[in-house]
Amino acid sequence: MIILRDIQKTFVLPAGPFVALHDVNLDIAAGSFVAIVGESGSGKSTLLSILAGVERPTQGTIHIADVPLHSLPERALTQWRGKAAGIVFQFFQLMPTLTAAENVMLAMDFVGRWAPRERRDRAQALLLRLGVAAQADKLPLTLSGGQQQRVAIARALANGPALLLADEPTGNLDSRTSDGIFELFGGLAHDGETVVMATHAAAAGRFATRTVALADGRVVQS
Amino acid sequence: MSSGSVLLGARWRKVMRDVWLHKARTVLVVLAIVVGIVGAGAVLDTWSLLRRVTREGYLATNPPSATLRVSVDSTLLARVRLLPAVRAASARRTVTARVRTSTGWHTALLFSGADMGASDIGRIEAVSGMWPPADGTLTIEKSSLEFSSAAQGDSVELQLSSGVTTSPLVLPIEGVARDAGLAPGWMEHVVYGFVSPATLTALGGDATPNQLRIVVRDAPFDRDHIRRVAGEVARLAGSLGHEVTEVDVPVPGRHMHAGQMDSLLFTQGAFGVLSLLLSALLVVNLMTAMLVGQTREIGVMKAIGASAWQIAAQYLALALVLGLVAAAIAIPVAAAIAWQYAAFSAELLNFDVSNASIPLGALLVQAVVGMLLPVLAALLPVWRGCRISVNDALRDGASVHEPTPSGWIMTLGRGARSRPFLLSLRNTLRRRQRAALTVTTLALGGAVYLGALGLRTSIRDSVDVLFTEQLQLDMSLRMVEPFDASVMLPLVASVDGVARVEAWSGAQAAVEEADGLLSPAFAVTGLPDTTMLVRYPLIDGAWLGPGDLPEIVVNARLLADQPALTVGRAVSLVVNGQSQVWRVRGVVESGPSPAAYVSPAALARVLGESRVRSLTVRASSRSLAEQSELLQRIRDRFGEQGIAVANASLVGANRGAVEDHLLMVSGFLLVMSELAIVIGGLGLMSTMSLAVLERTREIGVLRAIGASHGAILVMVEGESLLLALASWLVAIPLSLPVSVLLGQAFGRIMMPVPVRWTPDPQGVLVWLVLVVVVSLLSAALPAQRAMRITTGEALAAR
Repeated sequence: MIILRDIQKTFVLPAGPFVALHDVNLDIAAGSFVAIVGESGSGKSTLLSILAGVERPTQGTIHIADVPLHSLPERALTQWRGKAAGIVFQFFQLMPTLTAAENVMLAMDFVGRWAPRERRDRAQALLLRLGVAAQADKLPLTLSGGQQQRVAIARALANGPALLLADEPTGNLDSRTSDGIFELFGGLAHDGETVVMATHAAAAGRFATRTVALADGRVVQS
Repeated sequence: MSSGSVLLGARWRKVMRDVWLHKARTVLVVLAIVVGIVGAGAVLDTWSLLRRVTREGYLATNPPSATLRVSVDSTLLARVRLLPAVRAASARRTVTARVRTSTGWHTALLFSGADMGASDIGRIEAVSGMWPPADGTLTIEKSSLEFSSAAQGDSVELQLSSGVTTSPLVLPIEGVARDAGLAPGWMEHVVYGFVSPATLTALGGDATPNQLRIVVRDAPFDRDHIRRVAGEVARLAGSLGHEVTEVDVPVPGRHMHAGQMDSLLFTQGAFGVLSLLLSALLVVNLMTAMLVGQTREIGVMKAIGASAWQIAAQYLALALVLGLVAAAIAIPVAAAIAWQYAAFSAELLNFDVSNASIPLGALLVQAVVGMLLPVLAALLPVWRGCRISVNDALRDGASVHEPTPSGWIMTLGRGARSRPFLLSLRNTLRRRQRAALTVTTLALGGAVYLGALGLRTSIRDSVDVLFTEQLQLDMSLRMVEPFDASVMLPLVASVDGVARVEAWSGAQAAVEEADGLLSPAFAVTGLPDTTMLVRYPLIDGAWLGPGDLPEIVVNARLLADQPALTVGRAVSLVVNGQSQVWRVRGVVESGPSPAAYVSPAALARVLGESRVRSLTVRASSRSLAEQSELLQRIRDRFGEQGIAVANASLVGANRGAVEDHLLMVSGFLLVMSELAIVIGGLGLMSTMSLAVLERTREIGVLRAIGASHGAILVMVEGESLLLALASWLVAIPLSLPVSVLLGQAFGRIMMPVPVRWTPDPQGVLVWLVLVVVVSLLSAALPAQRAMRITTGEALAAR
């Protein structure tokens, strides 16, 4: 369960303070697939960053599975992120010098949740689940955009997080491939994963269990 | 103000703000150039300063064109002065003596002449106190002060070699003078002193001059001409009944050690150029980093109408300004180092740099190099950076420069259990050109370091071979009067502590050349065929046979000076004024001074004297203190018998001075190599900074997927360490040719040293420790920067 209460985020810019989020209150149930939609500058990415523990709210509280993210020290936040949250980026952000399987294992190496001898098998299983097992030993740049994003999702799931956060995961993909990714997220949510995705894509609404719309930093539809 | 000048102003304001914004990188670029200029500039300044001081200083003494060893009276001096080819002539007496200072007895060489103060030839500079010396006083030569621990105001005991049976005379040192024409006293282990003819007489010596020094009227730098004039003077002396035993014609206008100093500084100059080259490589790296960081801005400038040339000019101008700043810092630093080093070197050669100045030309060269080096080094990265299309520059910023990893990269570290390690390993080779440049820069420094270490070991080995293997004697004594060996040897052998004693004969010789002139003199030693006190390794031909055949064995140094002395050749040598044909039988290695060896019988026949003057002794004890005591016991035994000892020396006492003198060269090379390693370290630092800059997003992503600060630190340090280890490995084989070249250069300048075909294992280990420390320090700042990268930056990246 994710609980956000009275979240406000203000950035201090040279031109003056800029309020990116105003009094956001949101409850997200475990196992749901939430699409956060809105125009550019509406606060989608800021909200996602707060959910990932990358940004801290200027005001308000955030609890994820009873963990008070707003008050965790930096080191604990890094540890929490490694185990509890998986992040998927718009540009995939795979390590170009590691193969697909090695990219997935890299995340396991950092967190150490799985024993070293189990990592290869787990990576292979995740890639199989995401439909890219045949690409396990290829370098990212030899894969298509959709395949790269699937590998990135496998990496995000490597440490078995309960929460998957995706920031514009289909922003760099064609509509057909995007639909495949959304479908995948839906499947993950069906299996118990909580998926929160920031997106511009109108099609996301067809796959998500819930859509949260933001405008000028405020929740306008939930 | 025109719109053009407004635009120009804005461009330059951007340049200045970029410099300020990226202070750390700017400082690194300036530092890289500073280090390069300091390395090369210090050598150039030292060379210019020493060249000026030694050449001008030496010429200012009006050095003699030639020196003849002959008994000189007023008639001969007057007749020589009348010769049309002779511009000036003077006479003086040189006599060997011994002097007792607070540190004991030392060999001394005294100079005495009626007109020393007014002599125009080989002018002597008064440093302090009395000049010329008054009767009953001693003026000491400056280069003899330190090693003998003598000082102005001290009183010393002085005893002529020929008057050793009489009591020494106590003389006050009333003055210090400098004779730039003498080989430094510390180097020769001789105390040079100046006394008046009356003092010499009071010491029991003969004051009649035995040296005639001339300066030729025409062609003062033509050695052949000088030799012809010297030959004319020698013939005149002979016609007047004065026997000339030696004619010395030094290279005109050059101090006796100028060649050595030139060669030494030339070798060091090569390292100066190397440091400049390394710093240029570093600037290439740093300018690339700067342009990578500004790719988007380049795109924007192009989009609003800037041409590639305008942008390139902007960055090249920035490089020029940085070069100017670096030159302004480096030139005084290089000059300060050069002053110290030149003062030290000049002091060794018995010159004074305090009144000299670094030639303006040398400073200008550094300023020009300082300005141009960064501009030239920046040309390629600027050209590449400014060629980028607007689309590419705006689309993906820095990452457009990232090359596609090759498939073979997957083979690296396959099977490794740690992906962070794998990432470090493969990242190391993502930029192969840059990695190669970084590894080469650091490896070159390491190769020179190992080479210099190897040279140091070689020098020590050579000195060791010279003093423990080739020379088995521990002390030598020279008698005032020749003696009968069959009487003297049992006398010395009976002294407690003597393991072996041999009687050696000796003389000065010169090669008589086709025109009848003589080569510079060299020592000829008559070695008993049963000698066990020397073991000179044979390089060519054979050692001396028994009997009195006129055969000669020369050492490698003499052969280098006199190439005609090859094995099998018959050469005419003048020994003790007697000309005779000798056949060269062999060539041996026997140290840095030219020398030759003959059988005692052959030498006795030429000298017309079967008795000898020198004794060489091997002690039972290897302790220098006990050997010193033994020498005193031998002296006492001679004293009891009324036998006069002219001088005596302990071989071991000379070893330290010889070794220190030779090791100075490798010491300087080590300092230069450490400088090169510092430049290599800066290169590594720039490469790692660049890697962190280019991989900001990747590092942010790593943070996002759970990498801790420690993991990021280990990865950056790991990559740096891998590059450093590659440098370590590359430097080892690279050090071998460096070592050989250094050894050969040293052999030409100082003395032959064994060529080392394997690196010193201890040196390799030290280099490993050094390179690991350099890599950790070099990566510290980039790693810190990497640890500060947040996941937010990665999420924000597009």
